[in-house]
This record gives sequence, structure tokens and C-alpha cells, in this order.
Amino acid sequence: MAQLPAQTIYRDPQLLYWILLPITAVMVLTGVLRHYASVLMATQPKSFDHRSIKEQRSMVHGVATRSNFHVLSAASFRARRDYLTNAYETGAFLKDPDRRGQPPANPMTDPNAMDGMMGMMKNNMAMMIPNTLIMSWINAFFSGFVIIKLPFPITIKFKSMLQAGVMTKEMDPRWMSSISWYFLCIFGLQSVFNFILGSENAANQMAQQMGAMGPQAGPQMFGPGVDPDKQFKTEAENLAVVEHYSVLDDVEDRLLKGIKSN
Amino acid sequence: MSSSLLHPPSHLPPATALRHSQQAPSVLQNYPGAITTSILQSVFSASETQELWTVYENLLLSCLRTGDDESAHQCLGRLVNRFGDNNQRVMALTGLLKEATAPDNAALDLVLQEYNQILQENPSNIPIAKRRAALLRAMGRISEAVNSLNSLLDMSPTDAEAWAELADLYLAQGLYSQAIFAQEEVLILQPNAWNIHARLGEMFLMAARTSDAPKRLTEALKRFCRSVELCDNYLRGYYGLKLTTQQLLSEASLRASKQTEPQEWPIPASSTLRNLDEVATEKLAEIIRRNSAGETDWQGYDEAEISAARQLLDSHSAARSR
Repeated sequence: MAQLPAQTIYRDPQLLYWILLPITAVMVLTGVLRHYASVLMATQPKSFDHRSIKEQRSMVHGVATRSNFHVLSAASFRARRDYLTNAYETGAFLKDPDRRGQPPANPMTDPNAMDGMMGMMKNNMAMMIPNTLIMSWINAFFSGFVIIKLPFPITIKFKSMLQAGVMTKEMDPRWMSSISWYFLCIFGLQSVFNFILGSENAANQMAQQMGAMGPQAGPQMFGPGVDPDKQFKTEAENLAVVEHYSVLDDVEDRLLKGIKSN
Repeated sequence: MSSSLLHPPSHLPPATALRHSQQAPSVLQNYPGAITTSILQSVFSASETQELWTVYENLLLSCLRTGDDESAHQCLGRLVNRFGDNNQRVMALTGLLKEATAPDNAALDLVLQEYNQILQENPSNIPIAKRRAALLRAMGRISEAVNSLNSLLDMSPTDAEAWAELADLYLAQGLYSQAIFAQEEVLILQPNAWNIHARLGEMFLMAARTSDAPKRLTEALKRFCRSVELCDNYLRGYYGLKLTTQQLLSEASLRASKQTEPQEWPIPASSTLRNLDEVATEKLAEIIRRNSAGETDWQGYDEAEISAARQLLDSHSAARSR
């Protein structure tokens, strides 16, 4: 079977200077800008006041006591359990004991919760706005340009990815359109940003998306809309049902056996 | 640069601290004093790392120990430049520097008043609260130090460091049951810390002299067993184990006492005690032998602890041969 003749398209060499390089430069510069914008907009990690620290840490303390009860002797554990369950049930650790039993505040009106949401909004906006702008800019000025030819052959499946905006059925998928170059830049500039900004930059939107999907761990145990009083009550119940044993119960026999078996 | 500058320096032997502080001029010269935020320079200069600031902090502490106040001031200056005056940790370091350079008690009182004022504005400033407790202890106002630690722990009961300090304070005052309680809190937060287990055993051993001997000695024995179970060749653990078994074996009157509560641990059988005693003696002898023979894997024990263990073994064998 005769080989298909290689497609040749005569491109204006000016395409390189007026489309390829500008798109790349714009992408890099937006990345840098986004980094500095997010550094500027980053909110200081919120400092908690005395009572909310107490509320959170008392909770953590209870959890620690419940999960590490085995280091204590029976009497010490009982004393701690009595103290903690009593304090949990009377609400001694609550941030504002007067609000016990009332439904939790609406997260939309709680200024603390709004802060967190605003932070997320800002991050999302910092990603979305520049991307939308640049994409419409490219669509308006450079749509339909075929700008480079990849130096290696690729299969037909890549056609839709590489030739977005150019509706030509027969063209070799090695040709690349301007809008596809833009997408390639979005995903491929990570190492460039690492070089310019250091490895913990905020320019990389992929990392940000990954982070947003990850679990929201951290000190924010009482998220908006969670009633601490109820959590304390649950914890008191958990503590009450612990069946105590201790690692010290027959430690000396264990030790002797372990040493003899060596 | 030496990686040991990255470790917290509080427990370093004096020689190492001295070596660190002698490095101070070269570190201060070679490390960047500030990190630029401009793009152009950041391409060419080293990027900011967390290690850098850890190094400054540890160097500051080492310099204060050896009296190199000049370098300490420089380190603190760089930290302040980077993190600002209002960073809680930097505030505590600033206070520490003031404490260290204070010439007399009046100056220390001024520092204390400063701490009080900071805490009045922001009671949740934990580093400063800790400094205040430490300063009160250093000034000999033990009961105030206890109070300040108690109020800190009321706010933040998950702070193992503060619990340990509180336990130490109580122990120094001879309040054994309080000390034991605080030390147990440390264990809840760090359940596998063998040194804390052994320390708690030591507290029980000391407390057994005052009252409740059989119960406390039994628990001390178990604590020491647990600590050597967690860490083989732990000298303090074996030392305590030997002391406890000897006491339990020698005082026959203890063994006659009745068990009061069913939930308490019974005193182990004397055969078990003898076995444990044997194990501890062997292990201590092995540690001493290999350490003084200079075997590479057996270095790092405290000199004082080794000689104490040697004395214990000697007195034991003397008593036996008599």
C-alpha cells in the first residue's frame, strides 16, 4: 500500500512570533501574577480566642483519654472518666455556656464561617477569572490558526485535543491549533513555575484543585453548623462505655517471656 | 551545614551546645539574612526553607546557653525581620533573650510584668504563658509557677510539655500524688514514650517511701517493665526495675499486707520478682561492660547514669557476698 504523502502546510513564520510566543508568555505571566495575588490575598491564619481553644482542646483531650486509656491504672482512669464525663455533661468546657441547647447558628450569618467561605471563593476566583479571560482572548484573536507541527507522530485520537477550534477532518493530528496550545500550557507549565517561584507556589492550579478535593482536616474540628454541646455529650457516652484494661496488667510476665525467647 | 542544628537544643550536652554556638559567626555569615520577595532575585538566590528559621532559632538558644549574646541578638533580629514582632513564637524568643541578659532580679521582674501585660491582652498566647511559668520557676516562686501552669492547662489540656513541667514542679515540692497525676496526663498524650513511663515509675518509687508502699511499688515495677519493654537497653528503666524488685523482695512485711481492692494489681510472686531482678542485673552489667569497652552501638549513655548503675551493682554484690 502506498504511503500517504506527508501533509505539508505552508505557514507564515510570523505565526511563531505573533501567536505561539505571546500565548506562552501570557500564560507564564498570569501564573506568576496569580501566585503573587494569592500571596497578597492570603488571610492570616485565624487566631482563636481563649475560650474556643479551650473548647477544642478539651474535646481532643477527651478523645486522647479514650484512645490511650490503656496506659493508666484502673483507679486513675476511673477518676479521669468521672471528671471528664461530668464536665462534658454540664458543659463546663463550652465556649458560651448560655447558648446550650439552642440550635447552632446559621453558617451564612456567622462571621467566622463566612471567612472560611470567602477564602475558598477567593481561591476559586483567582483561578477562574484569568482562565476565562485568556480563553476568550485567544478565541477572539487566534481561533482557527494552526500554529505548529509536533515533531513526532501521534494517533488520530489526539485530534480532538490538539486541533480544537479547527474543524478539518483530514488534517494530520500532528498539527496543533492555538487554543490547544493554550491548554497544553495550562497543564505543562508546572515545572516552569517551580523554577521561577519555588516549589510551593500558588500558580499551579492543578495542585490547588487537588488540595480542594482533599479532606478538610486540621484544627477546625467544630466546623460551622456543628453543635459542640452535642459532640461533648457523644464523647461523654464514648468514655462511659470504655471497658478498661491496662498494658501494665501482666507486663512483667510478657517481659520475662520476651527476654527468655531471645 | 550540620544537621544537628535542626534538632531542638535543650537536651544537648554542654559540649555540643558550645560547638554550635562557636559555629554562629559562620552560620550568620553564610545564611541569608532575609528572603527577598522580588521575582528576579528569587530566581538566582536560594529559596526560603523552613530549616533556615529552625537553624536560627536553635542557634539562638545555643548562643544564649554559652553567653554569646551578640550572635543571639543577630539571630533574633533576623527572626523578627521575617516574622514580625507580633508572632507568638518570636515574642517568646524575645522574652527569653531578655531573661537571659537580665543583670539582676529587678530586670527579671520587669520582664515578668511584660509577660503579664501580654497575657492580659491575649490570654491565648501559649508560648508567652509557658515562658512566664518558666520564669516564675527560675525566680523561685514555685507556687505561682504552678498556678500559671494550671491556668495554661485549663485552657489547653493537650499540652504534654506543660503537663511534664507541672509534674516536675509538684515533684520538687514533694506533692507525689499530684505529680503522678500530671505525669499520667503526659502518658495519655504520648502513650508510647518509654522515658515517661520510667519517669512515672521513679515517681511511684519515691512516693512509696511516704505511704501506700505495696501498691505504689507494684505500679512502679510495672511502669519500669513497660518502659524496658518499649525500649530495649534503656538504662534508667533497668536501674529502676532493679531498685524496685530489691525493695519488694527485701521487705517481707509488704508482702503480708492484704489486698484491699479487687481491681488493684497484686504484688507479683517472688519467683517473678527474682527473675526480673536477675534480668535487670544482667542487662545493667551488659550495658556497663559494653559501654566501657567502647562498642560503637552502646555509646550515648549518660556518664552519671552509667556510674550510678555500676555503684548499684557493686553495692548489691557486696551485700550478697557478705
